[in-house]
Amino acid sequence: MEHIVRTNRLTKTFQGQEVVSNVSMNIKKGEIYGFLGPNGAGKTTMMKMMTNLVKPTSGEIEIFGEKLTPDSYHFLGRMGTIIEYPVFYDKLTARENLELHCDYMGYYNKKSIDEALELVNLIDTGKKKVKSFSLGMKQRLGIARAITTKPELLIFDEPINGLDPLGIKEIRDVFRMLCKEYGATLLISSHILGEIEQIADTIGVIQSGRLLREITMAEIHEETTNYIEIITSDCSKAAYILTDKLQLNNIKVIDNQYVRIYDQHIAQSEITKTLVLNDVVIDSIHKRSSSLEDYFMQVLNGGGVRD
Amino acid sequence: MIKLMKLELRKFKIMGYIRGAAIANVIIFGFMMLMSYSPEIDDTMVFEDFTVVFSMIDVFTRGTFIIFAAVMLGRFVIDEFNSKTITVLFMYPIKRQKIIAAKLMVVIIFTFICIVISMTFLSTVYLIINAFTHFVPGELTMTLVMQQVVKLSFNALSACFMALIPLYFGMRKYSLPTTIVSSVIIVLLTCANNGGFNLNDIIIIPILLAIAGAAIGYMAIRKIDQIDIN
Repeated sequence: MEHIVRTNRLTKTFQGQEVVSNVSMNIKKGEIYGFLGPNGAGKTTMMKMMTNLVKPTSGEIEIFGEKLTPDSYHFLGRMGTIIEYPVFYDKLTARENLELHCDYMGYYNKKSIDEALELVNLIDTGKKKVKSFSLGMKQRLGIARAITTKPELLIFDEPINGLDPLGIKEIRDVFRMLCKEYGATLLISSHILGEIEQIADTIGVIQSGRLLREITMAEIHEETTNYIEIITSDCSKAAYILTDKLQLNNIKVIDNQYVRIYDQHIAQSEITKTLVLNDVVIDSIHKRSSSLEDYFMQVLNGGGVRD
Repeated sequence: MIKLMKLELRKFKIMGYIRGAAIANVIIFGFMMLMSYSPEIDDTMVFEDFTVVFSMIDVFTRGTFIIFAAVMLGRFVIDEFNSKTITVLFMYPIKRQKIIAAKLMVVIIFTFICIVISMTFLSTVYLIINAFTHFVPGELTMTLVMQQVVKLSFNALSACFMALIPLYFGMRKYSLPTTIVSSVIIVLLTCANNGGFNLNDIIIIPILLAIAGAAIGYMAIRKIDQIDIN
């Protein structure tokens, strides 16, 4: 599949500190890419480098198949963005802001302003000055501004900040619609896992400037398989029996307390029966599925296992 | 470029500035009237001849509009950096140099037009009133008027470039107060009239300051596409 954005060993240093180091990320055409990471992980800096606001210290960025140079700017006409937080000319009304945006972008279909305002539910507030807007409304207006010119690539930095639950759902639907109907590619950053999980096709996890993992949602669902967890006082014996008698290879002993069985084909009753027959005391046994959150906590903790 | 300048005018509602300039003119005129009447109180003549009248008009308008220009620079350039709206501007498919150049052009042209119109307006109105009240002794000759026209237009031209000097100080920390204070200092230097002596009358000084202003404007533009906007 064609890539809209590619970065190659991208690094940015601010006053001797690496804010982004060696990031190679790939955003495919037509997907929603969720950019996940704690505060200060380098998400905004990455986005600023993609829009050429900040110049990389080393590494390359390729957008729409073209390499970015410090003075390239034509590619910006095919993008819609909110970086950090939505800023507007406060003294102008919402509509004036969008009209100004269209003029600067060289986009002359004025009908699209109404469409965009309607999409984010701001059609009645078009005549109000932006000064009086709440953060949630600014966020919506920012999204409206980004999509009026129908760009191919949308970059949203924390777009759900300040939105109420209903608003979050609406915006989520807008994002899906943009992706499906207009074929736009979206890059959305957030530190809220639940949000990203619900809309993203691919997730990139960044921490302390490093891209820890880049993975599609489908792959994640495969990786976060279910397992059976046994709590027993004699783990080594239990493990031995499981491998020896039941030919299970995919087991893991954790902290000498838990045994996890990742093999899917075996029934829980059979495990219980075999262990009891071999005099292993079972304190508890149950089926578990590691949640997506567990998965990311693992990734964020350097791939180490919790507990 | 013209289109970008028009957008700037729309964005910052130029009508407000035009109104401001008009009010400034009225106030300057009021001052001049006050000064014309003062001799009756304490026996010193402020306007001893027409040269002084023109030099007063020159000093007042230049001083006013250099500070006016600093306020505009503050709004058009420095505030954009402060309020981060510059990130929005720099994410348009337009060369950064062009965006900033358009802003500076608006300020320079607006300042120049304001100074020229104000000088013309104040001189005309004052001379008309003088025709009835005879504040100023002596005769107004055609040569004098022509001399003054040349001098004042030169001063107007140098002033509108000089007005860019505060940009240098203001851009260092993106500070509006610094911009305005530095413009006041420039006004104090070039528009102070100490017993008929004016620093601006030494021809090399306005030329050098205007060149400095132009250079500062150029420097603000030159490297703008290499810097990080945070």
